[in-house]
Parts: sequence; structure tokens; C-alpha cells
Amino acid sequence: MLRSSLWGTVLLGRALQAVLVSLLVGSLCFALMHSLPGDPAMRIAAGRYGPDAMSLQAAESVRQELGLEQPLLQQYGRALWQLAQFDLGHSLVTGRPILEELQVQLGHSLWLALASLLLSLLGIPLGIIAGARAGGWLDRGSQALAIGVRALPPFVLGLLLMWLFSIQLGWLPPAGFGSWQHLLLPALTLALGLAALSCRVSRDAMAEVQQSAYFTFARHKGLRGLTLIQRHGLRNAAIPVVAYLGVQAVYLIEGVVVVESIFAYPGIGHAMVHAIIARDVPMVQGTVLTLGLLFVLINLLIDAACRWIDPRQGGTR
Amino acid sequence: MSLSLRIEHLSIRAGLTLLVRDISLTLTAGTPLTLLGESGSGKSLVMHAIMGSLPDGLQAHGQIWLQLPGQPAQELLRLPAAQRQALWGRTLALLPQEPWLALDPTMTVRQQVQEVHQQVRGLSAAQARQQALDNLQNVALHDAVVSQPPVAERYPFQLSGGMCQRVAIAMADAAGGQVLLADEPTKGLDEALRDSVAQQLLREAAGQRLLLTITHDLQLAQQLGGVIGVMRGGELLEVTQAQQLLQQPRHDYSRRLLQADPGRWPVRQPSWTDTGGQLLEGRGLSKYMGGRCLFSGLHLRLQPGQITAITGPSGCGKTTLGNILLGLLPADQGQVIRTSGLTSLQLQKLYQDPPSAFAPHLTLAQGFNDLQRRHGFSDKELAVLLERLGLHPSLLQRLPAAISGGELQRMALARALLLKPRLLLADEATSRLDPVSQQQVMLLLGDLCAEQGLALLLVSHDQALVARMADQVVSLEAHGVTA
Repeated sequence: MLRSSLWGTVLLGRALQAVLVSLLVGSLCFALMHSLPGDPAMRIAAGRYGPDAMSLQAAESVRQELGLEQPLLQQYGRALWQLAQFDLGHSLVTGRPILEELQVQLGHSLWLALASLLLSLLGIPLGIIAGARAGGWLDRGSQALAIGVRALPPFVLGLLLMWLFSIQLGWLPPAGFGSWQHLLLPALTLALGLAALSCRVSRDAMAEVQQSAYFTFARHKGLRGLTLIQRHGLRNAAIPVVAYLGVQAVYLIEGVVVVESIFAYPGIGHAMVHAIIARDVPMVQGTVLTLGLLFVLINLLIDAACRWIDPRQGGTR
Repeated sequence: MSLSLRIEHLSIRAGLTLLVRDISLTLTAGTPLTLLGESGSGKSLVMHAIMGSLPDGLQAHGQIWLQLPGQPAQELLRLPAAQRQALWGRTLALLPQEPWLALDPTMTVRQQVQEVHQQVRGLSAAQARQQALDNLQNVALHDAVVSQPPVAERYPFQLSGGMCQRVAIAMADAAGGQVLLADEPTKGLDEALRDSVAQQLLREAAGQRLLLTITHDLQLAQQLGGVIGVMRGGELLEVTQAQQLLQQPRHDYSRRLLQADPGRWPVRQPSWTDTGGQLLEGRGLSKYMGGRCLFSGLHLRLQPGQITAITGPSGCGKTTLGNILLGLLPADQGQVIRTSGLTSLQLQKLYQDPPSAFAPHLTLAQGFNDLQRRHGFSDKELAVLLERLGLHPSLLQRLPAAISGGELQRMALARALLLKPRLLLADEATSRLDPVSQQQVMLLLGDLCAEQGLALLLVSHDQALVARMADQVVSLEAHGVTA
């Protein structure tokens, strides 16, 4: 009873967040569409039928169809209503429905995000070992490395990796899409930044657990070595590490945009940058909305994971 | 040879500083040994020297002979660290202080007892599980009525402090350690829970086991009986049969320690008389927490100079009521009416754990300087107050962790008094102090009420202390209220 209502609160909170994200993105894009110079009907017609086939009649029929002659407030309401029905409109560049485009790109981006997340998990054992021997050479070495890596913005890191693995060593393709080799460099770029922070957070978590009264007591009751760490160290240290992944999601989503552009990887971030350059506002709306909702979803999953690990947060296990 | 532990000429040093000086003691089966003393007396160090868990930088000298039945006696201090740690759990069992912090928060208590059988003794999962349930049953942790989740499958945060202490005892039973070392086992527990822990410890000691308890709780020492040693400043002042020590202590300090037990305090002359004045009034106060009613329809009036105690067992809502009266928490029903001109700043609070009420990396002087800049009292006021509270000004140059709990609580009192409060809430303010420090702080509080017309709101689970101090008592119970 208590538990289900707790879950209800969490789900409701995240659902509200999702609605808020959609409302904000929709409103901003609406304002953007109407503040661009020129006639929106013309722009849309040109997008749909190609600049050559575009005529005044075509623009007029688009105007009629989309109600562009109506008062602004009415159009705004209509735009939000469409959004509520998951109708994202058509791209101004390709003329195809936004939803179709997003499906393909989102798939590519999810692969990239997943690959970098998996690679970044390597930072956690490093942090745990460093934390178990806090103050040792591994601890200090990994700290220097983590600070160095995290201080580099993803675009610099990406270029460095490209220079090393593609140009100097020739092991991996510098850019493009199609095979797992193409995925590796962009994923590694993102993973290094993520791993740097995960490493430090798990190091601090582990060091703190080792100082705790329950860890000391577990030693005094006769547990030793790996058994001790596995039974009383890891789960407790995981609580802050998992919670922190929620913060890392910002880095991940921001990184996807930058990294996809550098490596010409046809994901949603790449699409967003191109849509911005081409002033394809519906496409911008679609991509930004997807990334925003992805962020909400990641945080929901992390909430669930935290509750599963830590009984004090009221989850079921 | 039967089971025994002999400490011979034990000294503990940190560099050149002698922390414990030449202590000799013998522990035998069937006779519990209790070390009494204030914080800093070195009693915990003795226990850690036996265990082999002294902090880095401390060295133990002398000999500690452990005699297990049917084995040659071994001298513990001479064993290498790995061999000493191999004794943990299997031979030496340490009961932690504040066990609710010492149990893993993410495992059920059954899992935590089971792992001792499984990981330490090498039993199969099924056997270990059954034995863990037996251990819990033996310390009376089982369900009298069917509850959901059953006690064994609960997490530590779902249990009371006394239940957590019994879980710790069940773990010691599970590992089968023949030497039981109990480190302040009743710290922070109310009387009912303290009695149940004392009974459990006695039951443990009745078998073929040694029991060494470290405490400053005189009631616990009395209940355990056996032999009592009194420690002060790293020295063992006397070791005597419990009855004899409690009735006719030989040493002056032992006498002072016994006098400091609230049950033996001289009866306070009430300084307060009902003048009809009023500082604060609670009308029809109710509070619910987690669907449970803590109190409802409570009326309460506080007058200048009056000492009001809120008392009751752990978890009954004492602190919550205090915080509502101070305006730190809202009441669910009813209202708190302050007399006109009474500002929030004139309502001050003393907290239970002095170290957590101070910024750990700031010297006390820095803290008082900041307070002075904000509230503008004179240096002289501070100096007079420190003298009144029996605090040497040189203590100000230290960090909070570098002075004793009793001194730090008096610093907290000075900090509150500088703001010229008219009402002070002391929330279990002396429950973590040793009896001598406790009496000192309480006497001061009583005097201040008489001298300055300060109203004192005392939150305490200690009935004896409440009976000695309070002009007015509010007793909260698990169900309902008697005022």
C-alpha cells in the first residue's frame, strides 16, 4: 500500500516533468517559427514540394491547410494540440514526417549512447579499487587521469582520439557509419568523460563505506577480503554511484550532439545540428523533444534502480 | 585450563603520550566485568587492545593472555595482525555502540546473521539460514503475532535501537565467539530497552563465555553485577565486586561517579513559583507521523524560569513536540502562541550530539567570532559566560573534536546563551555525556533558570533525571498522552 503509493508519486513526478518539457519545447519552437523572417507558408511549401515546384498556389493551399492565416493565439493552441497527439509535422527540408525521421536517428543514437555507457562502466571498478586503498598510488594516479580527461571538452577529446587511432595508427575509420568500427571512436569519446566522473564518484563512495560503522562491524564479526567487499562494500557504494548517473545523463545527451557532429554519425544529435543550420524548425522541435524526454526517461530508470538497491528508499526487492 | 582472559600491565601510548597506564585485569567465565569511566578515561582503548583494533599510531605494551579450554594460552599482543584478525568473530566478538549504525542498511537482519554461518563458519546456505533464524529466536527476535514483513526479514531502519542491539548479539552468538566485548551497548537507549539489553547480556554471560562491558551507564553496571572496574585518565582506580563498589566505593572519584547518577542527585530546591506569567502556550496540539498519532489535543503552558520536561520512550514524539513549540515544525492541529515581543532568536536549542552541532573544521574561537559579528555581543560578555560555565578560554583555540563532549556541550550552551534566549530547548542534551559531565551541565541549566528567568524545555527519556529537574512534566506514551 505504502510502497505502491510511493511509486505513484515517483511516476507522477516524472510524468509531470515530461509534460513540462514538451510544453516548453513546443512553445519555444512555435515562437522560433514565427520570429524567422519571411512567410512561413512559403517556407513550408518549399520544403514539401521542393523549391522548383513551389508556387504561390502551393503556398496558399499550405496556408489554408495549416491555418496560418488565423490569429497567433489560435495557431499556438493548435500547435500544442498537435503536439499532445504526437503529431510533430513534416520536415521543411525533406518533406517527410518528423516521426519517421526520428525513429531511424533515435535508433542510431541509442546504440551510441548504450555503447558509451557500457564502456564507461570500466571507470567504476577502477574507482572501487582506488577507494579500497584510498591515498595509494592507484588512487592518486586515477584522480589525475580523471581530472585530465574530464577537463577536456568532448569535441577536443574526439579530435584527439581521431588523430591517434585513425590518422596515426590507422586502426579505425575517422568518421561515418555502417559497422561497429564506426561506432567505436564516438562511443569511446563519450565514455572517457563519463568514466572519469563515475570513477571518482565510486572511489569516494567506496572510501566512505570503508570508514562506516557497519563495514568495521562486518570485519569484527569475522568477514574478510573479497567476501567483505562484495557483501558490504559494493551495494552500499553503488547507491551514490547509480544516483549520480542521473547527473551524467546531461553529459551524455550533450555529448551525443557534439560527438555525432564531429564523427558524422547519423544520429539524433547530428540531425538536430543540421536542422538548426537549415532552420528546419519542426525537425528542431522533434529532436529537442526526443532528447528532453530521453533525459526524463533515464532519470525514471535511475529512480527505479536506486529504489531497488536501497531498501530505505521504499522500493521492493 | 578453563576459559579466561588475563590482562597484565597493559599500557597504551600514542608516541610519547601515555593514554592507558599499567592496567591488570582478569576475566573469568560466569563473572561479567564492567569498566566504568568518563569519556577519555581509556576504557575503550583497553577493549580495542584486546580486540587488536587500536587506531593507527597507538601502541599497546604489556601482555594479554587468552586461555581457551583445551588449548595452550596465547599472548595476543605478540601475535601478527593477520592471526589476530583471524580471531575476530570466531573467538572475540565485539558488540558495537549504536548498533543501528553498525548494521548494513541494505541487508535484512536475517541475511546479516546468516552470512556469519555461511561465510565465517562455512555452512551451506540452507543450514545457515535455519541457524540464523534460531539465533534471532534466541534473542527474542521473532514474531509474537504474524507481522508483515516478519522481524527477521526487516531492514535495520525498520527496527528499534534495542532490537538492533539484539541483532548484534545474535551475530556474536552465530560466530560463537567466547569472549564478548560490549562497547557502550546501551548508549542512546531508553530505560525499557536498556533493561532488555542488560538481560540479554546476562543470559550470554551465563554460559561458557567471558563478558567485558564498557559503559558510563551506572544502571547497566548494577544490573550486570559481577566485577566493576573504575577508570579515569588512563588509570584503573579500583576493581571490586559490583555490590561493594556501588554501596561503598573506596576511591573519591568512584564516589563522585556514583553521586552523578541522576537517581542519587540531591533534590533540587524548586526556584520557580507560579507567578501567572506566560512565555509560550501550546493549544490543542496534534501531530501525526507515518499514519500514527504521536499526540493529540495537547495543552501546555511555559512560564519564565520554569523547567518543563517532555519524557517518554524512544520514538514517542518528544523531540517533535519540542520542535513544534519552538516553531521548527508545524503542528497538524492546534497552535503555538508566543507572548508578545518573543522573537524566534530568543528560542534556542541544545542538540543531542554536540560534535555534530559544530562546524568540524573551524576552531571554536572562529565560530564565536562569526557569531559576534552577526549578533554583536562584547568580548567581556563571552569571557564572563565562559567562566560561569567553567570553561577555560584557551579551549577556544581548539577544534570541536579536540575537547570533551561535556566541554563541547557547555560551549554549545554558551553559544545559545549569548543570544539571550528566554526559552531553551535541551533535546537529550546530556544523554551522550558521562554522568559527571551530565550532572555538571544539568546543574548549570537549573541555576541559569533560577538566575535569569530562563524557561527550560527538557526533552529526556531518563525518568530519574526528569524527576530531579522538572517543575512540570509532560509524559508522552506510545498511545495517548498524560499531562
